[in-house]
Amino acid sequence: MNAPTKAFDPSQVKEAPSRFRTALGKYRVSRSAKCIVCGLCVDVCPLGVNEKIGGRITSPRDYKCLGPKCPTACFKQCPVQAITVRTDPTFETMGDYRWTGDMLVSTYYMCETGRVPQNGLEYRTGASDGGFDKLRLIFPKDPGHVSPDEVDTSIELNRTGDGRPQIDIPFPVYGGGMSFGSVSIRAIVGRMKAATALNSFCCTGEGGYPDDLIPYDDHVITQVATGLFGVREETIQRVRIVEFKYAQGAKPGLGGHLLGDKVTPAVAKMREAVVGSALFSPFPFHSVYSVEDHKKHIDWIKATNSKALVSVKVSTPTDVDMVAVGSYFAGAHIIHLDGSYGGTGAAPDIAKKNIAMPIEYAVPMVHRFLVAEGIRDKITLIASGGIRTPHDLIKIVALGADGIVTGTADMVAMECVRCHNCESGRGCARGIATTDTGLVELMESDWVAQRLINMYQAWRAEVQRILAKMGLKSIRQLVGRTEFLAHLDYLPDHVDGEIEY
Amino acid sequence: MNSHEYVRSILAARQDLCKGMSKNLPYPAEEEGGCGVTGFCCSIPVRGRHIFKPSAQMHNRGNGKGGGIAAMGFIPEMLGVDQTTLNEDYLIHIADLDGEGLKALEEKFIYPFMDVHLAENIPHVDDYRDIAGLEVRPPDIYRYFARVKPNVLKAFAAKKGLTKLAARDLEDEFIYQNSVNINKTFYDPQGKMKAFVMSHGRNFFVLKIVGYAEWVVQYYKLDNFKANIWIAHQRYPTKGRVWHPGGAHPFIGLNEALVHNGDFANYYSVAEYLKQRNIFPLFHTDTEVSALLFDLYSRVYGYSLEHLIEALAPTQEMDFDYLSKDRQRIYQEIQKTHIHASPDGPWFFIVARNDTKNNELQLLGITDTAMLRPQVFALQEGSIKIGLVCSEKQAIDATLDSLAAEDPRFGTVADMYWNARGGSHTDGGTFIFRLDNSKGNGEEKPMTCTDKFGREIKAPQNQVPFLPGRVFYLMDDGQKPMLDLTEEYAKGDADALYKMFIASIRDWDYAETLDCLKEIKRQAKESDGNLDLTLNVMTRLIDLRYPTFEKKRRSLLQMYNYSLNRILCAVPPLNSDQAQGKYRYIDFESRKTLRAPLPGEAVLVVDAASFPPEGDEADGVLLREAYRLGWKQFIIFRCRGQRFYGCGFGPNTQGVRMDVYGSSGDYIASGADGLEIYIHGNAQDQLGQIMKEGKLVIYGDVGQTFMYGAKGGDVYIMGNAAGRPLINAVGHPRVVINGTCLDFLAESFMAGDPLNGGGFVVVNGMTIDHQGNVIPQPSPYPGSNLFSLASGGAIYVRDPHRLLVEEQLNGGVYADMTEADWELILPYLQETERLFNISIDNHLLKVDGQRRTYDEVYRKVAAVKLAVLTGKAQKDGLEEYK
Repeated sequence: MNAPTKAFDPSQVKEAPSRFRTALGKYRVSRSAKCIVCGLCVDVCPLGVNEKIGGRITSPRDYKCLGPKCPTACFKQCPVQAITVRTDPTFETMGDYRWTGDMLVSTYYMCETGRVPQNGLEYRTGASDGGFDKLRLIFPKDPGHVSPDEVDTSIELNRTGDGRPQIDIPFPVYGGGMSFGSVSIRAIVGRMKAATALNSFCCTGEGGYPDDLIPYDDHVITQVATGLFGVREETIQRVRIVEFKYAQGAKPGLGGHLLGDKVTPAVAKMREAVVGSALFSPFPFHSVYSVEDHKKHIDWIKATNSKALVSVKVSTPTDVDMVAVGSYFAGAHIIHLDGSYGGTGAAPDIAKKNIAMPIEYAVPMVHRFLVAEGIRDKITLIASGGIRTPHDLIKIVALGADGIVTGTADMVAMECVRCHNCESGRGCARGIATTDTGLVELMESDWVAQRLINMYQAWRAEVQRILAKMGLKSIRQLVGRTEFLAHLDYLPDHVDGEIEY
Repeated sequence: MNSHEYVRSILAARQDLCKGMSKNLPYPAEEEGGCGVTGFCCSIPVRGRHIFKPSAQMHNRGNGKGGGIAAMGFIPEMLGVDQTTLNEDYLIHIADLDGEGLKALEEKFIYPFMDVHLAENIPHVDDYRDIAGLEVRPPDIYRYFARVKPNVLKAFAAKKGLTKLAARDLEDEFIYQNSVNINKTFYDPQGKMKAFVMSHGRNFFVLKIVGYAEWVVQYYKLDNFKANIWIAHQRYPTKGRVWHPGGAHPFIGLNEALVHNGDFANYYSVAEYLKQRNIFPLFHTDTEVSALLFDLYSRVYGYSLEHLIEALAPTQEMDFDYLSKDRQRIYQEIQKTHIHASPDGPWFFIVARNDTKNNELQLLGITDTAMLRPQVFALQEGSIKIGLVCSEKQAIDATLDSLAAEDPRFGTVADMYWNARGGSHTDGGTFIFRLDNSKGNGEEKPMTCTDKFGREIKAPQNQVPFLPGRVFYLMDDGQKPMLDLTEEYAKGDADALYKMFIASIRDWDYAETLDCLKEIKRQAKESDGNLDLTLNVMTRLIDLRYPTFEKKRRSLLQMYNYSLNRILCAVPPLNSDQAQGKYRYIDFESRKTLRAPLPGEAVLVVDAASFPPEGDEADGVLLREAYRLGWKQFIIFRCRGQRFYGCGFGPNTQGVRMDVYGSSGDYIASGADGLEIYIHGNAQDQLGQIMKEGKLVIYGDVGQTFMYGAKGGDVYIMGNAAGRPLINAVGHPRVVINGTCLDFLAESFMAGDPLNGGGFVVVNGMTIDHQGNVIPQPSPYPGSNLFSLASGGAIYVRDPHRLLVEEQLNGGVYADMTEADWELILPYLQETERLFNISIDNHLLKVDGQRRTYDEVYRKVAAVKLAVLTGKAQKDGLEEYK
């Protein structure tokens, strides 16, 4: 198929509302029986919360509401005081410190509309009181004039100059591995469609390469992980990027683990394993116990596919800088660091956030080490593991990454509520992390694709806005520029610019 | 003094050495992973140039940022000293890093303390840039032959409370402490690095540089320098910029030099353990602490070699249970005391050791308990003896090639090749080549080889090796052959010719064998049909085992290989205009002439000799391109570690056949989907990874992690598999291993129901001795882990004496062997019989001379569903501890 030429054309954005009858939002708008159907509230609301169809006013689309602080305030204008607006009690139960309710709801909003929310939702940072949530952007006083439209957000994925193809992606994000088995085929195909439309990539995870993905070959990354499930020579040969997954930041040292419940006949067939038996990926690769084995392993992929780029995905142990340099000398094009904040509900709680280094520690450490070794401009450094928002993206690039990989954000785009029951397989209430034939029906891949396109359009516009405000014409100019960041615990006395709180 | 006092007094005497040492252990200064290691031990001193070829062939195991060698066992005249000085003096090598000379160092640490009998700046190439690729100037090395002055020693003993030590022990300790002081003063990782001690033991030295190991030989002009033991190391530091060789291997204790392949996880724990004993690492690599441990156990604790090895690689699990009660008692004490310092993770040590107390020079290979690094041992006996240990078999073969080219008493093939089973009760994971050093002065030294427990390893006895003389070299001089095989060739019966050949082995001497080979070579040139016949017969002679009577199989193999290579080199080149017939030859020089086969052309003969082992110029890539152009049959010969044969051919490659001769490399048939590969000899590591369909036949042993993540394929192994075969295999792989596996066979095997299209492994546990007898091994499967966590497939083990026990399983179950099971594996055993001459009736089903039924002989290991596999319990990962 032809690679789309118009990635990130605003015309790609199309409304993609929630697939559930009651979309989740921050506020609840109630209309009492006192309503006289005068229609005033419909007229005053610019966001379409209230709508009149035929002779009645429909139940409010309150997830769009700006809340009690709304300047037009239908609830004040209502002649019979039939409308009340308050925080939705469901909203108060949503989210956690890392992915706050605000952040979930604002991500839903971006996915529906392609724009960042304007209703005061905190879409930029979470409430974890650490990491990205303690970092703030510094906008210089006199950045010079840069128009957001002219900001270049593309990055190169092959900087080695080794004669293999040069691949650029227009926005420094691609999709992280989610295997067939861990999520539904519709979720996977939807992500691949979005990657194709955005001229980016999305990784298969280690559950094999379903035939449904073949139309998107040019935008698929084949993952070769420690279980080697579903990895066959042709799946290595048909793609432009092959990713070695050594470890996952959420559970370093543990390998993949698909519980028996999720190993349905279709999953077992794809992986050529036994139905109902849990599938372990060993840790580590049994054929790789040293850096020279690692080189040999990369040589094998290169011998099998002479055009592919090789990405090496590793978690963030304390010596991750050495791992990165070793991977470069072993012939990798991309070094992908997966920090400790990521992981679905299927990753054991005891491992998550407790073993690997947080990504915002690992990235600057690796970046500086690569600079000192004189090879920073020869390798693409990709970060993942808890990057949730366009602001997180800006922060991690300023810390030294070239680009990022997303996982959880994509799930949230599909209306994941982060209930953390992914491992219970057939029971994912939202029909995302499931292989149950009934639950899979809850979602269409086209809808998934559109939601993701909208989300990344919103992210990109936000990134362009921020970079322009920093006076940067390209995201490549931001790499490693920590002077654009402030940490709330270590604020300097004087900042030559404005800190965005 | 008792040994307890002895240990305490020495460790206490080191207390003031630690002054000024950082109490906090820094991170290792640089990480390194694997590396290429090689070593050999020969009953006569041999030239340094012979370490060159194996080192060069293992470039892909290093990155040119650290290489080093150690040499042990010298001819005194070559060093300008007499025999007594060589035996008794310390041979000290000090590297001058800043190029300003060692005057200050000598004045402070050498001349006041020592009687120096010889001091020199050792010769080297004038300009290091003359060695292509060498970017960092190697340090000047100052060499001293010296003894400690008696009065200095006396004062030292008094000051350090070591008056009770034997004189030589005291002097050893002085030398050790003096070197620590030298390094402390002149090698400051945080400050100036001016010099450090490279080695300080007796009758050996170490040299290392920033570069590949073989450049050491070139730079320090060791081409013609002779020693009994050589070891070399190609380093793969991950840090990019390295300016001096402090971190390169070998590292030293006192009388030992150690090289290491691997990376262990408990560096801190080991370093902490050493610190508690007043030993501080200086170079911060795990190899250095390994060498320090070795010296501690050997010289301070005074352990025997067996106990020293036990302290490094403790015997565990089922292997421990199999030890004798006496051993268990001692080993338990050793483990209690030293387990904290036992290196954990992948490692493999090669150690050159001068056991001065027993006047023995030793070369050791020690394997970690999980066998996570590749290693091959080899032994060649004859008029001279040589033992070798390397990361890869190809490095062994390269060493032998190099030696044989200089001295015909060496053969190009070893009598035996084997792997060690780390931490085992069978061999202890260690083999030691020992030279009796009491016979000095360049004479031949008696050599023996033992395992950890002292059991001797011997090549087949009462056989005479071939000593190539005139006859061998005059093969091509046009003498009329004595033998005429025209008639046999006219009949075209390969079986008959093969049988004639092996029937004649008893009566022929080596010269007659050569005559026959010469005639075969002549006949091979006559027609394609003759060449077909020749290759058929020669291949069987190489592959199969048959009685060789008083001749050595290795000598015959050397002749066969030589003849086969000559025959294949004579195949018309691909770019020749006049050539006719179906065989075409291509080599590295002519690789650009690769083209599609013309009508009538069928077999591409690839001379692997000059191809790089990986990368875009490799022959593996050439094969792939040739297949795209339409070639389907390949003969690859003169391999020396080339990788990735049969990779990248894509799906559905049925009808492709490859025959591989020589020392083939890693990853062959990885990803294979339909093609057939025959490896005529031992195979390396990682073969058949993710293999999907097709056939793989190995006429020998196969290395580590064979068929990892495989989906299918029919595979036949004539010999043993090393550790971790068929891990995570799914689908329907069907594998017959006629030997055994070291351990971890088919962990997490998930290959469905074997009786309904799933996969299985047959382990016959047999071996074929040097006279062609098929005999059972002591245990069909000695490892502690069989079929662990498997959820599908089955293992069929030939175990008539029911030697396998429950403890070897973790999740599997011994099940009855049904008729359906037997019918399932029978065709595979029949193919085994056809391929390897291992008969079902006469060998496999015959037990102690009696014919038995299949269910008396074979046992099935089937999968059971574990709770951990159904995943009902898991939530926070702690269930198993609750």
